[in-house]
Amino acid sequence: MENNPQQVYTVTDFQAVCNQILETAFTGVIVEGEVASYKVNQGKFVFFDLKDDNASVGCFMMLFAQRFPLEDGMRVRVRAVPKLTNWGKFSLTVQQVQPVGEGSLKKSFEMLKKKLAVEGLFDAAKKRPLPEKILKIGVISSTQAAGYADFCKILNERWGGLTVLTAHTQVQGMAAADQIIKALKYFNEHGEVDIIAVIRGGGSADDLAVFNDEALVRAIAASKIPVITGIGHEVDESLCDLAADIVASTPSNAAQMLTRDRREVIASIKADVKRINNLLNTKIDELTEVNRGEITRIAQEIYHKIELLGTEVSSQIKILAQLNPENVLARGYALVRGDVVVGNDIEIETNKHFVMANVKAIKEK
Amino acid sequence: MAKNVSEKIDELKSGVEWFYSDDFKLEEASEKYKALTTLAKEIETDLNDLKNEIKVIEEDFSK
Repeated sequence: MENNPQQVYTVTDFQAVCNQILETAFTGVIVEGEVASYKVNQGKFVFFDLKDDNASVGCFMMLFAQRFPLEDGMRVRVRAVPKLTNWGKFSLTVQQVQPVGEGSLKKSFEMLKKKLAVEGLFDAAKKRPLPEKILKIGVISSTQAAGYADFCKILNERWGGLTVLTAHTQVQGMAAADQIIKALKYFNEHGEVDIIAVIRGGGSADDLAVFNDEALVRAIAASKIPVITGIGHEVDESLCDLAADIVASTPSNAAQMLTRDRREVIASIKADVKRINNLLNTKIDELTEVNRGEITRIAQEIYHKIELLGTEVSSQIKILAQLNPENVLARGYALVRGDVVVGNDIEIETNKHFVMANVKAIKEK
Repeated sequence: MAKNVSEKIDELKSGVEWFYSDDFKLEEASEKYKALTTLAKEIETDLNDLKNEIKVIEEDFSK
């Protein structure tokens, strides 16, 4: 031993050096395996083993850091720091844990959904409608994601004059949830947007797992500014969707819900103008018709009066005709002119002759 | 201050409503119709020209 001057450590120092080496070598190592012997001690310390077919490693984490429900048999991915404990046991101090694989994700989803539903996080009564006027939109997404590009494309096609403030975050992976939570906090603190849109295109169940993160779901439910989610495809449902005020089926659908379609608005305006034009023409036609009717009525009244007057004149003419002396003479009567005195000459007018006569005698009738 | 497109659309809507209201007067209708037609064209131009402003916030959310 004396010939080999190796450093001699105390046990404590050796353990500290090992931990230093481990921390340097594995800063935030990510390990995937199956959960076994899961338990929570004193309501705050979580212990479980992470195992696969050939190996097993003990894990420790604080309960508040556990953002997905866990149970034995679940497949998970942990971000952890390896550590040699004071008792010489090798373990992982877990900073983050996330279920992986469809079965584990579904199980975790159902467990957390039940828990948060009981707390009222998904209550329909808490949902706020889309603001009537949207001028500023806060978007939380990865600017490199296809879903974000779709969202912007549809937004630009449909409407203009909007200000879109984008918070660039990861939208998958273990760091994503915290980044999205920070972005939500940023928009809520600055308070300058009318609505927050959380956007992420389609992906596998593992890719979308971040949107079932308990802390993120709670942050969405607690947002003072209304939140719309456009995550994945039509068939995907996340707990963030359930906690959001408005759910769009996809990023493109979110853009559609947030904007009116300028082409539809232009078409509607043109239809309005055309309708008014038709209305005006109809009103003018109606008035013209009313006037025509009035003129016809007045003309008929005038004709009627003229007719009445004509009838009256005819009857007067008939009366006059009856009074005409010629007509009396025609019936055989005669008109005598001159003093009917014996010896006087008189003139007698008949229908056809003037007779000159002398009165010879006058007799009483 | 110049009106924005939403305000113009609101103005057009209320202008259209006048034609269906009891306030409608044929003597005023022609002038109003001409004004609304001009407004509709203005809105169409505005809508076609309007662009969105998309900005990425400088804040680093990964820290």
